Amino acid sequence: MLTPLPSSKWDYDAAGHLLVRAGFGGSIAEIQDLTDRGMQQSLEKLLNSVPAASIPPTWAYANSLRDLLDQIRSSTTPEEKVKARQAFNQANQGQMADLIQWWTHLMTDTNAPLLEKMTLFWHGHFATSATKVKPAYKMWLQNQTLRAHALGNFGTLTKAVSRDPAMLVWLDLASSLKERPNENFARELMELFTLGEGNYTESDIKESAKAFTGYRINRIDQQFRFAANQFDSSIKVFMKKAGPWNGDQIIDIILEQPQCARFVVTKIWRFFVYEDPDASLVDELATEFRQAHYGIKPLLRTIFSSEEFYSDRAKGAIIKSPVQYLVQARRSLGVYPPEGRALANIYRQLGQVPFYPPNVKGWDGGKSWINTGTLTYRYQIARALINGIRPEQAGLPKFPAKTAASTSQEPPRQNVVASMPSNLDGTPGPAATPFPPLTSPWPVEKYVNPEDRSDVQRLLEKLYTQIFQSRPQPDLLKNFVKVASNKTLPLDDGSIRDLVMLMMTTPNYQVS
Amino acid sequence: MSQEPDVVTRRDFLRTSVLGAALSWTVPLFIERTFSALDAEAAESSLPVATGKDHPILVVLQLAGGNDGLNAVVPYVDDAYYRARPTIGIAKDKVVNLNGYIGFNPALAPFKTLYDEGHLALLQGVGYPNPNRSHFRSTEIWQTASDPNKIVRTGWLGRYFDSCCSGEDATVGVALGGQLPQAFTSDNPTGITLNPGSRLGFAKETDASEQAVFNQLNGIDHDTVSGASIGELSGPNSSGMTAIEYLQRTALDAQIGTDKIAEILRRVKPEAIYPKTQLANSLSLISRLITGGLPTRVYYASQGGYDTHNAQENSHNRLLGELANAVSAFCQDLKSKGIFDQVMIITFSEFGRRVAENASKGTDHGTAAPMFISGGAIKPGIYGRPPSLEQLDTGDLIYNVDFRSVYATILNRWLKAPVSKVLGRDFNPLAFV
Repeated sequence: MLTPLPSSKWDYDAAGHLLVRAGFGGSIAEIQDLTDRGMQQSLEKLLNSVPAASIPPTWAYANSLRDLLDQIRSSTTPEEKVKARQAFNQANQGQMADLIQWWTHLMTDTNAPLLEKMTLFWHGHFATSATKVKPAYKMWLQNQTLRAHALGNFGTLTKAVSRDPAMLVWLDLASSLKERPNENFARELMELFTLGEGNYTESDIKESAKAFTGYRINRIDQQFRFAANQFDSSIKVFMKKAGPWNGDQIIDIILEQPQCARFVVTKIWRFFVYEDPDASLVDELATEFRQAHYGIKPLLRTIFSSEEFYSDRAKGAIIKSPVQYLVQARRSLGVYPPEGRALANIYRQLGQVPFYPPNVKGWDGGKSWINTGTLTYRYQIARALINGIRPEQAGLPKFPAKTAASTSQEPPRQNVVASMPSNLDGTPGPAATPFPPLTSPWPVEKYVNPEDRSDVQRLLEKLYTQIFQSRPQPDLLKNFVKVASNKTLPLDDGSIRDLVMLMMTTPNYQVS
Repeated sequence: MSQEPDVVTRRDFLRTSVLGAALSWTVPLFIERTFSALDAEAAESSLPVATGKDHPILVVLQLAGGNDGLNAVVPYVDDAYYRARPTIGIAKDKVVNLNGYIGFNPALAPFKTLYDEGHLALLQGVGYPNPNRSHFRSTEIWQTASDPNKIVRTGWLGRYFDSCCSGEDATVGVALGGQLPQAFTSDNPTGITLNPGSRLGFAKETDASEQAVFNQLNGIDHDTVSGASIGELSGPNSSGMTAIEYLQRTALDAQIGTDKIAEILRRVKPEAIYPKTQLANSLSLISRLITGGLPTRVYYASQGGYDTHNAQENSHNRLLGELANAVSAFCQDLKSKGIFDQVMIITFSEFGRRVAENASKGTDHGTAAPMFISGGAIKPGIYGRPPSLEQLDTGDLIYNVDFRSVYATILNRWLKAPVSKVLGRDFNPLAFV
């Protein structure tokens, strides 16, 4: 049985835990504000914040790449076609890098962090990748759809996703034919979006694939269009029910299955609380979820107000995703990730690029975020965030390209295509001046009082609270104090940056 | 050659670690439990640690997404094939004949050369009973070597590491790509991952040539391919450890592994010419690590994009061409270094595809498919029967070689490991080794 957290247990650490898990963390002042509000008020604030209007990317309209697409179509020779396609891909990749940055900014700056966190959850759930879906406008549209329903109703969301143009391309519904329906969407709908493997038959897939025919994309406005003449209106037997079902009716039948609520609840619990919820807990939440007609907000309210959410089993049990890692660093510590292509490269090396999930199952999460490669890179990026990111740390050239314009000393800007450093063979490059850092070092003076530079204990308690989003655990803190005690007082900026970096390379920093 | 021992003990490493300060206080929580056990084991066996130079090596290539076996190895004399695939069937005159009944897709021509040289075995109709058509579940079955109705957490290679390489450092298994494959999952996590595009080492300045290698691996600009929704398939890397313990363990493995790998890549430069594809880059890197004496038993790389539901002709041929050219370059390279006899390369995919093409000029999820096995010391030939195109199970091929027989053969005859300990029971071996 899930019991609510008694108000006596609501404190700074609980508020920090909530803000990190139900959002992306925050400053000491923000966490203190939630502490003072109490749990109920804090939770309602998170659940009901109305996001400030965000400005869409400048290119986010249906025909922004129309000219380039037309060029591909009107090419007469294969060479022309290849060239036109390359031009389109390059422009589209620029837009995708911009979209990744756009969403990252939204997550870092939003006043409705739970809405963005839940949008991120649904992106991983209805995982769609821009490797196949083009142009970028479709990916932006899907992101808007996920956000519009993120805290709404799961049934409505699933139906909206089934009509989403990016999804129609991703799982081939847009090319499914009445005579021979494509099974890709029908299968993943049940396996990955609603029921889980083993809870449907191969015949359910074949039958429901017939119901999802006639789904098309309007070429002009890139929106969903229903082609009635391509719809298979025959009788389908789905989950033992016979009828001339359409796609929405198939989803309704799926929602009637108790397994659907269990499947979704389990996934949400794993994302927000810990990996292995007991079956009885899942059943309890699933029953509630169905009784609330798949309302997402009431489910989250129950989870975030439960004592279990704040338990020792839950705390520190989740390994931060790369998105969480970067966005939380920005919100809590004030360090800036770089922009454009550099940002996309960093995400890639950390193991998660928004809009590019590895496959339709989404990111596995948990321990799969961490392997020797990604962990090593987390250490490097921590150092880089604190000291200022150099271009080569973000996969961009260290030196101006030899060929293009060796006189150009301009730093790489966003959307610059990453290329090799000039000294490929390991020999020292020509006496070129390296590009300047992409971001500034962490501004120590903004966060550290001058008098604290001589008071190691106090300084580290503050830094700890800011970095770990909780009050210091004495066992961990004393290690940092020991390191700091060997340094010359008052601590200079470099020493303090080293200490911050050290905290960020502990295993404890990788979890929340 | 350095006279230093191949394996620095973990304790030695800890003392000299660059991040010693960060690690030394967090490690003891768990090092006392694990590493004292490892030390005890190491003390028991005074055997020298085998290095890659004198040990059989396995290279596993995963073709993620479900490789269309019938368009890779084409039963071109069977009319049923062309009836089932009127638009996407590989034309008779294009097929590279093997035995008068089947032939390679022309994109696999380099495999024919390997076959003629006696360095390629083709296994036909490989699958398992009651096939699952979910990418994820079927991949999991291949990675864990479980019965289709059983969920097994650990991977078959992970169990091999646990039973045969216990106490050795994490580089016994090296995976190229962002994620550790589920096949490496074990009770005692082993294996390191080289993340394409990532730098080596913690915070040290890295050598520019290493950087170049890793940059080359960093393929961002994939064109749209049909089948892209199944890009990289992976599995959860779970274990009994808490998140913190797992992080500590990984940090150690990273330090030990990357130091060694960095040292090898500084010493061994690329010589052979490989195609400019991600897969070929991976194989080039593997060749250098083998040459450099990394004590790795199993390397793992993957190629995604095989989920060809839609307009598959160009994309599937391109993938097969990339595969064959990369493997061919790798074999040439190993041959010229005189270590081809030590290496076996195998390919697998979670399933083949439906016999009949679909309305989108693609193919849907199917069942049995061929595997390719290459190496200097393998017994070449064609093993297993081509699956019948007439007798089908709901439109799908019926397997005749259980993939666990293939694993059993590799474990028993190549890696010299006890089959029943790793696979839970014995399977009839095949004759390709």
